[in-house]
Order: sequence, then structure tokens, then C-alpha cells
Amino acid sequence: MNIDDSKLTAFALDELDEPERSAIARVVAESPEAQRFVDEIRELAGAVKNEFAAELEREAPALVSQGKHAFEFARGFRRTGDCRSLIDIRDDPWFWSIARPLAIAAVLALLAVVSGVALFSLRHENVRVAQGEGIGPVPVRSKPADVQAEFQMPVEAAASPAAKAPSSLPLKMAEPAAGKVGSLNYSLAQARAEALDREERFRGIRQPSAEFNTAAYDDIVENRFLDAKDNPLSTFSIDVDTASYSNVRRFINEGSLPPRDAVRVEEMINYFTYDYAQPSDGKPFAVHVDAVSCPWETSHRLVRIGLKGKEIATDKRGPSNLVFLLDVSGSMTPPERLPLVKQAMRLLVEKLTENDRVAIVVYAGASGLALPSTTGDHKEQILEALENLQAGGSTNGAEGIQLAYKIAADNFIKGGVNRVILATDGDFNVGVTNQGDLIRLIEEKAKSGVFLSVLGVGTDNLKDSTMQKLADKGNGNYAYLDSLDEASKVLVQQMNGTLVTIAKDVKIQVEFNPARVASYRLIGYEKRLLRKEDFNNDKVDAGEIGAGHTVTALYEVVPVGAATNPAASVPPVDPLKYSSNERSTSAQSTSSNEMLTVKLRYKKPDGDNSELVERAVTDTAGKFEDGPVDLKFAAAVAEFGMILRDSEYKGNGTFAAVLEWAQEGKGSDANGYRAGFIELVRKAQALSKG
Amino acid sequence: MRSERIKEGPTFEEVFERFEIPLLQYAARITGDRERAKDVVQETFIKFQRNGALDRADEPATWLFTVCRNGALNVCRKERRMMYLDEELIESREREQPMPFERLEEEEAAGFLMRIIGTLPPRQQEVLRLKFQNDLSYRQIADITKTSTNNVGVLIHTALKKLRQRYRETSKDFVPFNPKTI
Repeated sequence: MNIDDSKLTAFALDELDEPERSAIARVVAESPEAQRFVDEIRELAGAVKNEFAAELEREAPALVSQGKHAFEFARGFRRTGDCRSLIDIRDDPWFWSIARPLAIAAVLALLAVVSGVALFSLRHENVRVAQGEGIGPVPVRSKPADVQAEFQMPVEAAASPAAKAPSSLPLKMAEPAAGKVGSLNYSLAQARAEALDREERFRGIRQPSAEFNTAAYDDIVENRFLDAKDNPLSTFSIDVDTASYSNVRRFINEGSLPPRDAVRVEEMINYFTYDYAQPSDGKPFAVHVDAVSCPWETSHRLVRIGLKGKEIATDKRGPSNLVFLLDVSGSMTPPERLPLVKQAMRLLVEKLTENDRVAIVVYAGASGLALPSTTGDHKEQILEALENLQAGGSTNGAEGIQLAYKIAADNFIKGGVNRVILATDGDFNVGVTNQGDLIRLIEEKAKSGVFLSVLGVGTDNLKDSTMQKLADKGNGNYAYLDSLDEASKVLVQQMNGTLVTIAKDVKIQVEFNPARVASYRLIGYEKRLLRKEDFNNDKVDAGEIGAGHTVTALYEVVPVGAATNPAASVPPVDPLKYSSNERSTSAQSTSSNEMLTVKLRYKKPDGDNSELVERAVTDTAGKFEDGPVDLKFAAAVAEFGMILRDSEYKGNGTFAAVLEWAQEGKGSDANGYRAGFIELVRKAQALSKG
Repeated sequence: MRSERIKEGPTFEEVFERFEIPLLQYAARITGDRERAKDVVQETFIKFQRNGALDRADEPATWLFTVCRNGALNVCRKERRMMYLDEELIESREREQPMPFERLEEEEAAGFLMRIIGTLPPRQQEVLRLKFQNDLSYRQIADITKTSTNNVGVLIHTALKKLRQRYRETSKDFVPFNPKTI
């Protein structure tokens, strides 16, 4: 027999049964070579055993550091095992200090075994947890008062427990069945999502998708047409995010149309830079408004509001204090994740000078400082630190964020660029990292004057909604990097736009004149809507605009007297019985020719008080065909987005029409982005036919 | 009553004391994350109490490691961790670098042999751990990792062979070994 045989190893380890054992024993007895092999294996096995034992001893303290309590708790409960003890535990602050959903689940499961059947409802008043991802337990940090658990013991409890449990348990632990969310997890997730949603006053109620999907896109309920008499004011925050377009592009290039809710029309429109004139009045940005006929519904008007941030030449950029916060968890391993991020960072580093400082913070199982704040002329040092980064481990985003902001604060440059650049696939899953907490953490940190850029990477588990919210709350922007080209666009060509914020909390309020406008619809910006009273409230956060950035918003407007299609008609509301309609009729009686007035509020990057800009607009009945090329292109992108969303407001638009408008609106297209868009529409058109 | 039947075998406390830390370590190596491991092991013991203890009171090791492994793999699957997902990768790939988990905490503390073990393919590390840390038989390991005893034998043999090689390359005291037919 061959000495290089697993049977010999098995023999050495005493793993063979008769008669095999005796047979090998005879071979070994006759061969000194084999005997030596067996001896060596045994010696090695002993050494390996010792090593493993030493490892266990070494690791034990870390392994049981916090977990022990949870087990003790589970054991303690098993001994007492009735409902009263649960109440006692609830009153014990210690329990709440370590309570996790799983611990709660443990109690419930045990309770269920003891009593047969238990129904429960968990009411989380103020629980801040990640949205329905169903990824195991997420620590819930809550005070006793925040959580109430209610238990009801139904009549069936009398039935034989042995016969019922455990198959009939109404709640199950998160079962290992892949792709399924255990019912407990699900109901918790729902409670979390609802708690989160309640706080987000701008947005409609959204339920997490029942289907397990690690790429998380929030539902978008499209803006409706609103009656200009009843709702003369339309208020929203600007948005310079571009992630949705590159994400959509990635889907289409990979051969599938994107999920509806991955399509955010305003981010698609704002992916492109439009040739708006710069401000000439010393303001940080210029406002341009125009109106043409709406190409997908010719009896309607298409109103464009365009903002152009002041350009700042690269050499005029103030000194920067940048902290790269890089996710190096295991999920970042594929080439289009951490390696792409590293390439992207290299591009940026090449552009830095001795006036700039860079630090690198990484986070995974443990977070740490990979590069202390270093000036931009030490390129090799920075590049080397980047080079040494490797993916592996799990993600504790919160710790990394804390550390990154601390370093940004330690190196704060007054009047300069202070920014944390977070690159991640968004899979925050360890530690205190439920989504609500993360967002609050970022919101808190944003007050320090440090801005945030979020660079999203990765495909299958992109936490799109988390990252968008982080950027939103962190006074920042969010871009999705699907390629090195995109990285170069965001970090090099538009470096100043990405890095240098020239105005923050920019809000737009449009007042429509009901004498001219029957109804209107804001296209996109569903996640950016504000209440009308938020406009003048400087405490309400809104979007930032970077140097040279353009921001575009489109309204579809139904003029008074125009024929409306069913989608654009606003269902009539009964006249009010107790309130007079005086106000709206008086508004109607104004003889102004103005169609609408655009008002903007913004703050200087380091300011707390907003300034107001106003612009009244009269519709000059321009036609789409004669309109500016940029407007044609923006309309093409908007319609493309609506078609991808299969929006009920897409009107007569088709892929073919989108192509036509985009061709007409292509303009000089110095960077080739618009040509890329046209190509993308063609692909989508082909996909939709296939 | 169910709870009385547990008393026939070792008590829950005994089983817990015996297996808690080994299971934690095992799960931590699969998930690459101690916090996750704690959750997985906690869940394992809860399940053990719920039904495992009743049926397998005499020999809980296989049951515990199996459930623990499923839980840990499930975490990996849900979180799209790279290691352990791709079967081919697990079987064949040798890691150029130890996992960051190991890199961070073990560099100084771990023995030389342990560092070599850290470079083996995950699947081989796993069977070594089950065999030499937990003293389980090929049969038990095969049950836990859902493979054949023969395959377990091959994995352990291959792993030990690699250890010998690496050990030999760096340690002159170790007697060289050249496989040949006898």
C-alpha cells in the first residue's frame, strides 16, 4: 500500500474499525517506514491537540465575556419556568441591559414549551433597529420603559404540552432554512421598520418586503398630481445623490431591468451635469427656471428648476481634512468592492497636495486606524496604507464611524474641507448597528461640521436605503461606484463637487398660482419631501450642494383649462361644510400672470441661519421642440426612469421617444456620459422586448 | 414531564459547561466573528433545551456541533460572508493570508503550529478542530459536516501532511518524510 494513504493516518489516530485496523496493523508492523509515519502522525496529532487546547484557553475569556449572562439568564428561566418569573425579569434592569431579541425569543420559546401555546405581541415604542433584514439578532438597546412585552395565555394552554410543542409553536426561532425570515424575526423587523418610519415624517408608511432580499430598496410611492388650489405649496430638499443611476446602469449592463424601487428618478436626472450659468451675484448658486410643453403629455407643461453651484478651481480649493472610512469586512472581498474602492482612493490621493490631510480608518470585526492623519504630499505612505488593506471579518460600522469622526474632529480645519468618506457595501451587521442608531449617530456627528460622502459598492446585498439615509442625515452625498470610470467621475472630475460643500440645508418651495395651474406633480424627490412649514424652519435638515454641482427638479404641470388624462386628474373633494373657501378663491382672484414662484433657502456651510432666494416665473408657452438641449435631455432621463418604474405617470413616453429626446438633448457631451445614457436606453429597450 | 427526562443523561448545566467554550470557538471560526458566534451558540443551547436534550441526552456532542454548524453557516449565508460559501473554495483553496480575525489577535499569542493551521483551507481547519480540539471521531465529524467518514479521513490526512511539510520547512528538528510505495 501507499504510505501516503489516509488509511494510515486513520490508523495512527485509532479511527479504524476491525478488520481494517488489524490489516493495517500488520502492514505497519512489517514496515519501519510505515511505523515511522505512524509515530510521526501521532506526535504531530499530540502537538496539534496541545495547540488547540492552548487556543481554547487563550480565547475563552473573550468568548464568554458578555455572552455568559444571556446563557445564565436562559438557564435561570428554565429552572423557574412560569409566567410570574417573566414579570420579575422584566422588572430587573440587568435583564434589559443585556436583552437581545434572541434572549426575548428564548424566554418565549421556553414559555411556549412549558405552556403549550403562547401568543405574544411585542410593542416597541422607541426601538431603533435595522430595517427588515432578518439577519439574526440585532442588539436592542432600550430602557425598560421603551419596550413592553405582552403575553396572553390562551385556552389551549390546557391541552397536552407534549403533544403540541414544539411543532405548533406560534413563534419560531429564526430557522436555519436559507432565505426565509423566521416569523419572530419578521414581526420584530416589522415593528422596527414601523418605529423607524414613524420618525421619518416626510415619508409615507412603508412595510418591509415580505420577500427575503438582502439588497434593500425602500418602496417609493410616487408623488401624485396635487390640486394647486388645495396644495399651492410644494416643498422639498435638494438632492445631489447620483447612486441610483449607476446602480440602474449596473443592472441593465448585467442583463436585467432594475427593481422598481431601485429607480429614483431625481438621482438619475442629477447624475448628469447641466450647463446652467454660474451665479454672478455673489450667491453660492444660481437658480434657473423655465417651462416647455411636456413631451409625454403635450397638453401639460414641464417646468424645470435648475441650480448651479459656484465653481471652485481645483487650486482654489481650501485645505482638506479627509478621513477615509473603509469597510474591510468579508463581504467586501470581490474585486468590484474593496479593490475598486482602493483604486478609487488612489485616484483621489493622486490629486491631493501638502495642504490636504488624509487618514484611513477601517472597520470589520474590529475597527482601527490604518493610517493616521497624513498630509497629501506623503503620497507613498498613503498609497502603501491603502495597499495593505484586506477584506475579511464582519462589520461594525458604528465603531468605525465613531473613530472616523473623532479623527476628523481632531484634525479639523476651520474654513476648509472636513469630510468623512465612507466606502461600504452597507452591510452593517455587528454591534450597536441597527439602522436607526447608525442614522442618529451620523446625524449627531454631522453637527460637528464634518460632512459625509458615502460611496456604495457591491451588488447582491447593497444596502441602498441605509446608505442613502446615512448620506442624507450626515450632510453628505451618496454615489454608487459600479466601475473605475464612475469612481473617477465622482472623485476626480467632480472632486470639488464631492468634497467642497458650498451651501447646506438647501430647500426649495414652489408656490403655484391656482389661477394658472390646475394641478402639478413633482417628478421624483419622493424621499426628499418636506412639510410646507419645514421650509422656514432652520432646524430641519436638507440637502447640500457642492462646488460646481448642478441640481435639477422637474414638475409636470396641468394648466388651468387643459384636458387632463385620468392619471393626472385629481379626485374631487366635497366642499367643506364648516370652513369657508375664501382663501383659495381670493388666491384665484389674483390677476397675476405668474405661473409659480420658486423660493430657496440655504445656509452657508458653517452657518446656522438660512438665507432666502425668490424667483417668480411666467410661462411663455414655449414648446419642447424649441426648448434648451439640457431640458430635453433631463426630460429624457426622467421619462426613462418613469418607464423603468412602470409609473402610471409615464404618459405617452416610450423607449423610442426617450432615445429621440436624448439624441436631441445630447449637446456637446464632453465626458460621454450622455452617449452612455443613450446606449443604456437601447439596452433597456432590448431587455424589455426580450 | 419532559424536564424530568433530561435527568437521565447529563444535566443541562453539565452539558453547557462542557461544550460552551468549544462551541463558541468553533462557531467563531466559521463566522469569523465572536459576537455572531455567541448568538449562534446561544441559539444552539436553546434548541438543545427545547428538544435536543430530550432525544440525545446520552451523546450531545454530535447534535450540538451539527446544530451549531448549521446556525453558523446560516449566518455566513445570510451575510454573504465569503468563506464557507463556495464549496470548491472551501475544499481546495489555501489561504495566502490568515483571516484578519486570526491576524489581529493571534499573531503574538498563537504557537507556530497554529499559525500554519490558519493557512489551511477552511474545511481542513474545521475537521482538524473537531478532531483535535473536541476529540470527536471520524464518524461524528462526518455526521456533523455532512460528508463521509472516508472524506473526513482524507481531509485530516491532507491537513496533517501539509502541516508536516510546513513544519519541516521551518523546523530542522522535525524528521523529514518522503512518501513512497512500500
